[in-house]
Amino acid sequence: MEQGGQVFRALADPTRRAVLDSLFSRDGQTLNELCDQFPEMTRFGVMKHLSVLTEANLVITARQGRTKRHYLNPVPIEQVANRWISKYAARFTSALVALDDQVLADQQPEERGRAK
Amino acid sequence: MRLAAHVYQIYIAATPEQVWAAITESEWTRRYFHTTSFVEPPQQGKPYLTVGVDGRPAVDGIIEEMQRPAAGLPGRFVQTWHTRYDPELEGEPPSRVEWTIESAGEGLTRVRLVHGNLEQSPLTWQNVKDGWVWILNSMKTLLETGHPLPRVRDDESVAESVSS
Repeated sequence: MEQGGQVFRALADPTRRAVLDSLFSRDGQTLNELCDQFPEMTRFGVMKHLSVLTEANLVITARQGRTKRHYLNPVPIEQVANRWISKYAARFTSALVALDDQVLADQQPEERGRAK
Repeated sequence: MRLAAHVYQIYIAATPEQVWAAITESEWTRRYFHTTSFVEPPQQGKPYLTVGVDGRPAVDGIIEEMQRPAAGLPGRFVQTWHTRYDPELEGEPPSRVEWTIESAGEGLTRVRLVHGNLEQSPLTWQNVKDGWVWILNSMKTLLETGHPLPRVRDDESVAESVSS
């Protein structure tokens, strides 16, 4: 899957967003620390979510001695936003302008009708 | 790696050698790194200084490690980081920036950036947090398209252009 798709898929799940929120407030947590944050989930469940987030490059793991830590990587989110803005913003803006023109054009005959 | 670190990772459609050049050579850095360039080509174990186009100091420190990427071996560029572009940040002790450049398959390179040793530098911690995201994306865009990211308009002007 292309990376944008992976990012959206990873972010679609509320638990995975909660994991990212947890790393946002405290970056560099171990698996045990993350499991403590989500007592309703099994260790396997947390690991599964982490692997989806890692595949989407939203979470990076780094070893510190024997400890494996998890870090939030904001880069792919920015890329999705950039792509969205650069690729679609111009078209989006012009579509809004066109819509605005259309609304005005639709209104005018009515107003003219009322004025009669 | 300490806890007071920012960690980033980006995939770039370029060779590790091209990415290495983009990080270590001024002809590249000035195109995506807020126009900054190395005053002298960086050398392992030597101090370095980067400056903006106006010649004002941007960052200084020591190049602690400078290992080009080679077949099967990741490239490593490790620099201490003492901010010079802002008087408040300049008062904080040096932190450390570690670049690791690794092939991630044919024509694809993984760049990992760790900005650590920030325990005593809370202002720098805050200042570089989002800055690196922009730098890395701009480097990727430059290497992949030949052009850096255009300067981002502020939110207000974007909002205005949408509503107008």
